Order: sequence, then C-alpha cells, then structure tokens
Amino acid sequence: MSNMEMPLVVFSVLSQTAIGLVIINTNRQWTAKPHLAHLQEGSRQWGIVLAFLVTGMIASFFHLGHPLQAYTTLKHLSNAWLSWELLGIAVFLGLALLGLLTEKRNKSGMISFATALVGLLTLLFMGMTYSPPGYPAINNALPLVFFLLTALLLGASCSAWFAPPEKRAWLLRILSVTLIVGLVVYLIVPCVWLSGGTVMKQTAWAWILSPLYWGRIGIGLVLPLILLWRLQDIPAWLPIIILLGELMGRAGFFRDTVHAAGNIGGLY
Amino acid sequence: MACKNQYHQPEKVIWRQVYPIDEQIYPFTERAFYSLACNHCENPTCLNVCPVKAYYKREDGIVVHEQKKCIGCGNCIRSCPYGAPRYNPELKKAEKCSFCWQRIDAGLQPQCVQSCPVDALQIIDLATFNQPGAVQYPPGFPKQPKLNPSVRFMLPRLPKTIGEEDI
Repeated sequence: MSNMEMPLVVFSVLSQTAIGLVIINTNRQWTAKPHLAHLQEGSRQWGIVLAFLVTGMIASFFHLGHPLQAYTTLKHLSNAWLSWELLGIAVFLGLALLGLLTEKRNKSGMISFATALVGLLTLLFMGMTYSPPGYPAINNALPLVFFLLTALLLGASCSAWFAPPEKRAWLLRILSVTLIVGLVVYLIVPCVWLSGGTVMKQTAWAWILSPLYWGRIGIGLVLPLILLWRLQDIPAWLPIIILLGELMGRAGFFRDTVHAAGNIGGLY
Repeated sequence: MACKNQYHQPEKVIWRQVYPIDEQIYPFTERAFYSLACNHCENPTCLNVCPVKAYYKREDGIVVHEQKKCIGCGNCIRSCPYGAPRYNPELKKAEKCSFCWQRIDAGLQPQCVQSCPVDALQIIDLATFNQPGAVQYPPGFPKQPKLNPSVRFMLPRLPKTIGEEDI
C-alpha cells in the first residue's frame, strides 16, 4: 500500500489486542472450568482493554485528513464496511466502559459475552474493510485471518498478566497453538501468492524481501515460541515482544502489499 | 496538460494518467499507451466503500466526488483497482476525475476529450455503442467485472511490417 500507514497500524493492532483480551476472558468465564476460576474479571482487566482501545482510536484520528469530522463515518452503513467497523469499535468501547463501571455489581458475565461478540463482529468488519479490490493479494479472507491471529496472540499473551504463574497452562496452550498456526500461515501465504497473477507475485516478492515480514516472523512468532518452550510460562514481558512483531507485520501488510494500479500497462 | 490547466491540481495529483503499454503486450519498437482516468464504473467501489457518502452516481452514469463531505480516510484510494482517486495533500482529501460534469451540463465536452490532438479520447453511449474491435478489458488493464468500468478501448494498430513486396 506504498506507505506504512502508522496510525492505521497502531489502531488496528491495539484494537485487535483489546478484542482478543475480552474474547479470551469471556471464553474462560463461559467455559467456567474450575481450574480457571482464578482469572478474576476485574476493573484492572477492563482498564487494560480500554487503554489499548482508546490509544488505538486516538492513533486512528491521525490517519484522517479531517479528524473532527470522524463522526460522519457512520453515514454509509448500507454499503461501506468501514462504517460498520467504526460502529463496531464504538459499540465495543461502550460495552467495555459499561463492563468497567458495573464490574463490582455484575458478575454474570453477560457484558463480557456481549463485548466479545461485538469484538468478533468488529474483526469481521475490519477484515472486509481491508480486503479491497485494489489489492488482489488480500481481496479475500486473508485480512480476517491475520486479524484473528493478532487478536488471539495478543489477547492470550496479555491475559497472562491477570493469572498467577501456576495457573497459566491454559493460556500457554492457546498461545503456543496460535503461534504455530500463525507461523504456518505467514510462511505459506506468500508461497501461495507466487502461484497467482502478476500483482499477487509482486506482493509475494515484496513480502519475502521485506525486513518487516521477516522481523514479524522472527520477533513476533519464532522468538516467543522458543521462549515459551524454554520457560514453559508466559512472562509478563512476552506480550511486548509479540506486540512489536505484530506492529512490524502490520506495517509490512500496509507497506508491502502491491496495488493493482501499479501494474497498469503490464500483464496481469 | 488539459486537465491540469482546467483544474490546477497540486503536483503529483493526477486525474488522467498516461501509462506505457509493456513490451510483453506490444512488442514493437514504437510505443503504445493507455490514457486512463476514472472509469465511472457501473458499480463503483469508491462509492461503495466511502463511509461518509462523499460519492454519488448521476443519472448519466458520471461518478461524482463531493469534496466537502470527504474526511480524507483514503478508503476509496485503497479500494479502486484503477488508482483513480488520489490524495490531495493540500486539502487532505481524496479527489478524482469528475468527467468535467460541469462542462457536460453546459453542453461542452470534457477538457481532455476536447484537447486530445489525435482524437484518442471520445465520449460514447454504452447503450448504443457497437464498434467492432472495441474491448472492455485489453491486456494491461485490470479486469474487474463486478465493477464493470464504463470504458472501451480500441487496441493499438500493429506497425506495418515492410516485406519484399513493399520494396
């Protein structure tokens, strides 16, 4: 997409982190396994969710040419996925605030469940928004897959902040599996693009030759996997490493994906 | 040049761009080009993805961008496979070829059509247009049937090969 779109990078990664945190927490609440009961839903967790989300939303305003008119983005719900994405984020923010304010009274987990559901829908809206026809390589379900992976990776690793070390086996399994799936997906996708049309091939080579792509794989996937294997635990600083990898990967997603118009006049 | 003279876009904001056709498609010493602007698609992706409804389609098919509504999110720029909407860094908004709809309404031709010295650009009525040899998706032009771009191309003439019979 020719430049890194840093405000979009920060917004998408941090908002997906917030969504992932709520999904993992809700999963724990609704499966209600006794050995997971220690993961107390609390104001601190909602606070962290809101901190990620609000930081991402502030970053997103820097992407707009006219941020003061951002409220008008809800006008085209009949067609535009971006309008749905922003509606989803707004509802998610409202529910997270409600979760924070009613945390002491409401222990049913319904708010958490509703927030996770809206978060999942928002991931779908984000996936549709970032799969435009202008980019043949990602004009499909891949953005949604990437965003789900981001939400699970950062959601599972950040959830470890709220669990004592002896009770992290469940999160460790989720995180390990997601890291392996992510590694496979990110290694295979450019290879699949190599068998596609010209613009897909150009995207594949742009990714393969990009330090951001390899940084994302090395720092965001391989290093955490090695650390998990060696430590058999999720240390408090691991989410920072995964976040760094995700930010690199998302910057590469925006910078290295080739636009169809870049090949006009050449064979497609 | 005609477009720039009419609208005075900032540097690098190009509504109509001339693209050289690759030698793999046109393998001759002389060169051929596509002169492309907004294709005013039947189902325009710019219109569909714009979250603030800054685009609308007129009865005659022209896709108009209302700049006063644009908030500069860039979604149309990312979405259009033909690269028609461009970012104006001075206004911090997107913009694109308007098909000179004000000139059309005044009974004039778009500035590019009027100014092309070799008559390479023409306005056609797709409902009645039936010229043999015209194609919608020539080599080197992204094929997007869902968008259905409202443009047709006459392929470049092949250069005359001089053989013994010409000597």
